[in-house]
Amino acid sequence: MEQRNVDRRSFLNQLGVVVGGATAATAIPAMNPASAQTPAAPKGNIPDAPLKFGHMTFLTGPGAVLGEPSLKGHILAAEEINAKGGILGKRKIETITADEAAGTDANVKELRRMKLSEKIDMFTGVISSGNTPALGPVAEELSVLTIFVDGCTDFLWDKAVPNPKFAFRITNIQSADGVTCAVAAAQAWPEAKRIAHIHPDYSYGRNAFDHFGLAFSKLVPGTQVVSEGWPKLGTTDFTAHITKAMSSNPDLIVSSVWGGDYVAMYKQALRYGMFNNAKFASTIAFGVAPHAIGKDHPEGVIAGVHANYYFTFPPGNRWPANKIFVEKYYKRWNEYPNFQSDGAYHTLYMYKTAVEKANRLTGGWPEEEAIISQLEGMYFETAAGDLYIRPDNHQGYKDAVTGFSKNVPEYPFQILDPNRMVTIPIRNITAPPHWPKPGHGHNDPTATYNWIKETWPQVA
Amino acid sequence: MTILVIQILNSFFYAAVLFLIAAGLSLIYGVMRIVNLAHGALYALGAYVSAWIVGSAVGHAVEGNLGLAGMLLLLPLGAIAIAAVGALIEPTLLRPLYRRPEEYHLLVTFGLLMILEDVMKFVFGRTPLSAGAIMDRMGSIPVGRLMYPTYNLFVVAVGLAAAIGLWAFIYRTKFGVILRATSQDRRMAAALGINVSRVYVQAFAIGCFMAGLGGAVVVPAQAAVLGLGIEVLILAFVVVVIGGLGSLQGALVGALIVSFVRTAGIQFFPEIELAVLYLIAAAVLLVRPTGLFGRA
Repeated sequence: MEQRNVDRRSFLNQLGVVVGGATAATAIPAMNPASAQTPAAPKGNIPDAPLKFGHMTFLTGPGAVLGEPSLKGHILAAEEINAKGGILGKRKIETITADEAAGTDANVKELRRMKLSEKIDMFTGVISSGNTPALGPVAEELSVLTIFVDGCTDFLWDKAVPNPKFAFRITNIQSADGVTCAVAAAQAWPEAKRIAHIHPDYSYGRNAFDHFGLAFSKLVPGTQVVSEGWPKLGTTDFTAHITKAMSSNPDLIVSSVWGGDYVAMYKQALRYGMFNNAKFASTIAFGVAPHAIGKDHPEGVIAGVHANYYFTFPPGNRWPANKIFVEKYYKRWNEYPNFQSDGAYHTLYMYKTAVEKANRLTGGWPEEEAIISQLEGMYFETAAGDLYIRPDNHQGYKDAVTGFSKNVPEYPFQILDPNRMVTIPIRNITAPPHWPKPGHGHNDPTATYNWIKETWPQVA
Repeated sequence: MTILVIQILNSFFYAAVLFLIAAGLSLIYGVMRIVNLAHGALYALGAYVSAWIVGSAVGHAVEGNLGLAGMLLLLPLGAIAIAAVGALIEPTLLRPLYRRPEEYHLLVTFGLLMILEDVMKFVFGRTPLSAGAIMDRMGSIPVGRLMYPTYNLFVVAVGLAAAIGLWAFIYRTKFGVILRATSQDRRMAAALGINVSRVYVQAFAIGCFMAGLGGAVVVPAQAAVLGLGIEVLILAFVVVVIGGLGSLQGALVGALIVSFVRTAGIQFFPEIELAVLYLIAAAVLLVRPTGLFGRA
């Protein structure tokens, strides 16, 4: 059924876009999220040999400000689980780490080394979309249970590992990032027609460019791309890119520059007056550790969090799992978590829950097959909301989120305005299971790209 | 027109920073025949130290006590600190290696790069540091309907002053004569009674000072982030390949070429921005293997 000449507001309503208002925190009895509950006694004989996990993330370089929170989330969860005796009360978690900044080839070798000589039981972490498509096939080949925290490119499940058995991923699929940003921008600034882009020159930047462009043009008729900038990942001089974007007289500047690069970019953009002359929307500006963003950051811009999670949302006690997680994380690390912290922390609890469920069915320490079958289709409570692991592609899906930047007195850094958070049900912005993948009847960049192209109406 | 003016200013700004780095790299190679892979990390360290000094000074000074001039005077402290680091590195790490093949130089300076990266992370943390107060204080000047940060012009002036100063130092002072003599024939210089070891320490410290100064002047405009030195190290190598390793003029001309081509690439053909630089470097190598100003 074709939909034509739909107006923007009614289509946004169909998408279920909600601009959140914070409710005043009221006294609600303390609740226990799933991660804090004590499981029933395990069945059968459980060995007490420790479990060995490999965690790979950016520990050095400009990616560290985004990636190191992943390791901190992992460590926090491991410490909590170990304090209660370990998984199934017996098996404590030992973690070996690797620096993802070593480069893709070295990372693949490291995964092999971790499995073959360190004998890890599970592999997790990984931030860059440049790395998961190389590591995924190796994880399958080595039969090592893998839950990627990020590296969320659609390409992993569309092409690199189309039928995963051992590999999973917990953060939202990457196409949701560009689409979420486009939906929020179309809702806030539907008059914006001239779009300038500044994206890092690798798969993530390309993905954000493609999906933002497609979704935004569906929602706002008559848009045109007036400028493209493709800074190299790791660059800190953006003056020429900023000048080029401004020179094209845009209504809206869209960017997916992240980590330390983004901090350097926004500081330069401020002095060039970039934020005065055009609206600004980012897919991932506030994805870094929250305190890396200064109060000098412009207010009222769309400052995305990779469509995943921001620590002030949902606020107060509206989603106790978040309140409790943020408190525990702050107490342990003296800083606030980002979406990688949430992903890495709940990766371990998701694994723990899968093992417990499998144990109740089979007794003893469950076979890997049994753990995998529990992970497939699992619905899991995280700080970011309900997470669903889709069985067809082992991808975690949760409602997408973004927001607008704001300075508040409670925090010494800028945050996302809790009164203007934008949430979108994930199934409304991502391709459904079994939608044709690239190379099967179409050659679009991703399945979701093709799905939007084919099924979204062009609003009038 | 406005855009042209601003992009030209942007190119001069980036050329100034690249020159500061490449000149130090070239000086060290010219005198000591060492390709210093840690040079980018020393640049980043200069940025961190300056940002840390300015940041703590702004944090502690009563509002208004520390004027713009005060903050600008604090900036070079980062460069001086890096010169001191250089004066430590040369006698301890590099001196034992001069008689060894170049692979040893590359290995040691690459190791040093890794160590310095970790030191910066350990000392300054992974959160970017900023010295933006200086830039905010200097404001922006309107160019057509757009604006250009006044501070960036200051950086161009520093680059220019450094070029003139370094040239005068090398070609117009007695120390410069000694430096050039040592660079041309180390054994002959030693035979003539020049204390070569001392010249080496001084030359290495000056090279490090230039790298630190590059970091110090760039940090108010950007931010000190981990991995800051990687991209500029690569570009600085392109600069010295084009200009000629060991040549001051080469560093200046190379920095201008690389910076202008990069800006033109970003503005007009973003897809091949990086490739163009390497193509130019390759073309120069084919026609003049020692670079535009290099000597065999």
